[in-house]
Amino acid sequence: MEYVVVSLLNGVVHGLLLFMVSAGLTLIFGMMGVLNFAHAWFYMLGAYVGFTCTRLGGFWIGLLLAPVIAGLFGVFVERFMLRRVHKYGHAHELLLTFGLAFIIEEVIKLFYGDALVSYQMPDYMRFAAFTIFETNYPFYRLFMGAVALAMFAILYLLLTRTRIGIIVRAATYRPSTVEGLGHNLPLIFMGVFAGGTAMAGLAGAVAGAFYPTGPNMAVDFGTLVFVVVVVGGLGSVLGALIASLMIGVFISFAVGIQLSLADLLGLVGLGEWARGVGGLLTLKLQTIANSMPFLLMLLILLIRPAGLMGDRQ
Amino acid sequence: MRLKRSFLFALLALAILAALPMFLSGNLLNAAIKMMIAALFALAFTLAMGQAGMLSFGHAAYYGLGAFAALHLMRAAEQQLFFFPTPLIPLGGALAGFVFGLIFGWFATQRSGVYFSMVTLALAELLFTIAPTLSTIFGDESGISTIRGASWGFTFGPDIEVYYLTLIWVAICAFLMWAFTRTPLGRLALALRENEHRVRFLGFNTHVARTLIFAISCLFTGVAGALVAIANEAANYTIFAAQGSANVVLQTFIGGAGTFFGPALGAAVMTFFARVTSDLTRSWLLYQGLIFVLVMLFAPTGLGGLVEMHARKLRSGAWRHLAGPYVLCAVAALLLIAGVVFTVESIHVVLTDAYTAARRSAGGAWVPYKLFGFSFHPMVPTTWAIPVLSLAAGAALLPIARRITMAAWKRATEAGGDDAVAPGAPGPTARNEGATA
Amino acid sequence: MNASATMSAEPVLELRGLRKSFGETQIIRGVDLIVRRGERHALIGPNGAGKSTLFNLISGHYVPTSGDILLNGQPIGGMAPHLINRRGLSRSFQITNVFPRLSVAENLRISIMGKRGHRFTVFRAVSGLKDVNDEVDAYIEKLRLQKRRNDMAGDLAYSEQRILEMGMSLATDPTVLILDEPTAGMSREETTYIVDVIRQVTEGRTLLVVEHDMSVVFTLCDRVSVLVYGEVIATGDPASVRANKKVQEAYLGEEVH
Repeated sequence: MEYVVVSLLNGVVHGLLLFMVSAGLTLIFGMMGVLNFAHAWFYMLGAYVGFTCTRLGGFWIGLLLAPVIAGLFGVFVERFMLRRVHKYGHAHELLLTFGLAFIIEEVIKLFYGDALVSYQMPDYMRFAAFTIFETNYPFYRLFMGAVALAMFAILYLLLTRTRIGIIVRAATYRPSTVEGLGHNLPLIFMGVFAGGTAMAGLAGAVAGAFYPTGPNMAVDFGTLVFVVVVVGGLGSVLGALIASLMIGVFISFAVGIQLSLADLLGLVGLGEWARGVGGLLTLKLQTIANSMPFLLMLLILLIRPAGLMGDRQ
Repeated sequence: MRLKRSFLFALLALAILAALPMFLSGNLLNAAIKMMIAALFALAFTLAMGQAGMLSFGHAAYYGLGAFAALHLMRAAEQQLFFFPTPLIPLGGALAGFVFGLIFGWFATQRSGVYFSMVTLALAELLFTIAPTLSTIFGDESGISTIRGASWGFTFGPDIEVYYLTLIWVAICAFLMWAFTRTPLGRLALALRENEHRVRFLGFNTHVARTLIFAISCLFTGVAGALVAIANEAANYTIFAAQGSANVVLQTFIGGAGTFFGPALGAAVMTFFARVTSDLTRSWLLYQGLIFVLVMLFAPTGLGGLVEMHARKLRSGAWRHLAGPYVLCAVAALLLIAGVVFTVESIHVVLTDAYTAARRSAGGAWVPYKLFGFSFHPMVPTTWAIPVLSLAAGAALLPIARRITMAAWKRATEAGGDDAVAPGAPGPTARNEGATA
Repeated sequence: MNASATMSAEPVLELRGLRKSFGETQIIRGVDLIVRRGERHALIGPNGAGKSTLFNLISGHYVPTSGDILLNGQPIGGMAPHLINRRGLSRSFQITNVFPRLSVAENLRISIMGKRGHRFTVFRAVSGLKDVNDEVDAYIEKLRLQKRRNDMAGDLAYSEQRILEMGMSLATDPTVLILDEPTAGMSREETTYIVDVIRQVTEGRTLLVVEHDMSVVFTLCDRVSVLVYGEVIATGDPASVRANKKVQEAYLGEEVH
């Protein structure tokens, strides 16, 4: 029981973090048709900005500056790079962001080295929020969840209640119509791109102080983010939220479960046979927890390519 | 006539490659082997990407499977289970690549555009995460290692024998892939890239066609993997890592996916570049990323596109117009490169532990650092002047050089009566509609 | 005057009670239609009548909600497009749908290759497929595109692209060819040229064509069906359809010349 509750809580928080990064990615894709390969690297950028600020000035300045810097860099990328190659098609844009990911990672490595950096939350945030089944539950996890929820609320209100939000949503469906109605489409694209990257930057600054901050954080997180947006449905913010929570909870449970296919087959009397065959059948769920998101993504792509909440391919 | 000339060029290239080992030392010979393998990998990747518009983000899977198939064949010979002649081992890689290409491809090609890329990525990542747990097939973390067996009167001990084995296989595969472009299925691949929808309404089962084309691409990828396994005599599960899939994408597009030889050129050049720069600097991946992004931004047809464009011009004697402006461009580029490299390497040196220690022993004061055999002091204006001036001069010169080059190009075009395509402004051939959903 | 010699009363394409809904909206509301072997049949109707949807149903782009589509007496409703094509029905598209970066000859070769059993051939060079290449040349001549043979399809004039696009559909040797607004967006001269080519190349074949231009309908077609709000309200020879009261009502405000 303890395991279930704690895993569930951890999974939800991890899922909310995933959502902070994937919301921007899915919005950008939905609107511009560009799968921003470098998106998770903006998350990484945010974490390193947070780390630097914590060293120099303070943790909260980092939380403030990380989205600003990531967003401004996003503006630069959209305005001076993506827009340039737009005429060569979406594949070309995808490849460009792919190269960009390399550059961001290498520049960060140049300054901060190949090892993990010690990005820590302030000491006054390091306490247990409550105790369940004798487990002290860290306050910071709740804080991360709260930031993500607040962001979701703001994003939701922005998209549904404001004029800009309506234009953005309309542009996700029919960009040319929106342009025809006299809205400055390039500016909207730039704004969405900047907003998306800023959210990723904020997520990085918040999460980096809890999870390890290092050169691999973008690759590790980035693949998960792809899984989230594909599963949720490219372009759907709600889908991204659902998929984030699903995957967050799933991973959090899977790492502690010792089941294998052979055990399942044992229920129908094939356990001995399966153990004899070995290989894939005797792998513990725990050891293949890392593969599960990809399996999920594959299943979704093959069964319902539009994703859980997407409405088109 | 065009065909004949291409054929002569290919023969010439083959002759040069055959003669090359006479001039190469051990280390460079090994580099040449890796360059040829990378070229083959890129050509195989392009068979799916450049021709049929299928941008695969998971080709490392088939490369790795080809490598492990080869290693198992080699090991079987080593343990005297059965004899398989070493020169024919790439056939095993080809088979592994083709079979898995068919299976994985059948799933992946049900989708197109970005979704296709995502399926290939997921399949490769799945293999990457599962491989270390299947130790009977892929070995554990350290992988499988074996040795090349002697056969057909060769020991396959020295690198030179591996070199010629690789050369022969790469040449055969390159020829076959070129021939593929001239078969009905090869032509259909082009049509699929252009407009899959229309192909379907002409009575083709496009899913079968795309699966076949993908599997053929994987077949040649498997050969490349087998060759690298023969050269290294070992591999572990990291061969499946996203890094490998990413590399072939980078190399192919730097080379230019629009021409047949471009990807091979790009792969060979970038492999050599990696080999040289990774010994010199730890930031070589940064330089590689910068090159890729610059190519994507300013030369979307890649190196191959540039070469092809100039091959036409040179024949019409336009180099007289272009030589001068190109020298100017080269100067501007060199200034910019010098500025960037100096900055990056200086930052790198100053942030090393060794330098920090040196500062500490000097009581925290800034001390001079060594770079390119010279000594620079971080707090002296002349040190800062080097990158600032070269970057500023390069940035100032570049637009001028660009304008002059454009004008010269226009003159050369008018003189040559050739079709007017300026550098950096390629025609519709640069479009890669492949990944539009 | 337009009746072809090969025309007979035998139905080659038959729609029976065909319906198609998108969500709540019923676009095709029970269409019955018979296209006879060898005739040139026009489908006309005001905008939004469901002509394009009907075409997409016949060619396999959409799956019917209910009802049957029979080609040579065999049901084809809901089959995959490439299978329908192999059974002898080929369509051309309203928007130009060629392979823009392949040459004119290459475009035609793709469709002829498939018909002649070289769908997935990998062990022969295309240059060696004499039968295919001869037929490509024959089609280029028929379509009057000799001068454009080696030009990229994307560089052709709009009317030439439409001709090529139709030629590609035709080159698969269909029993029934369906054309979606072949003269849309063309000048008078271009229309004359395209109608002339259509008449020539579709000699002896069954043709179903959606067309807005009434003068084209009357010069090209043997019979006309009128589709209004997802239903066929009249079928017959052009003169009787023009005289039909219901048709005139449906076209209220739009002149029937």
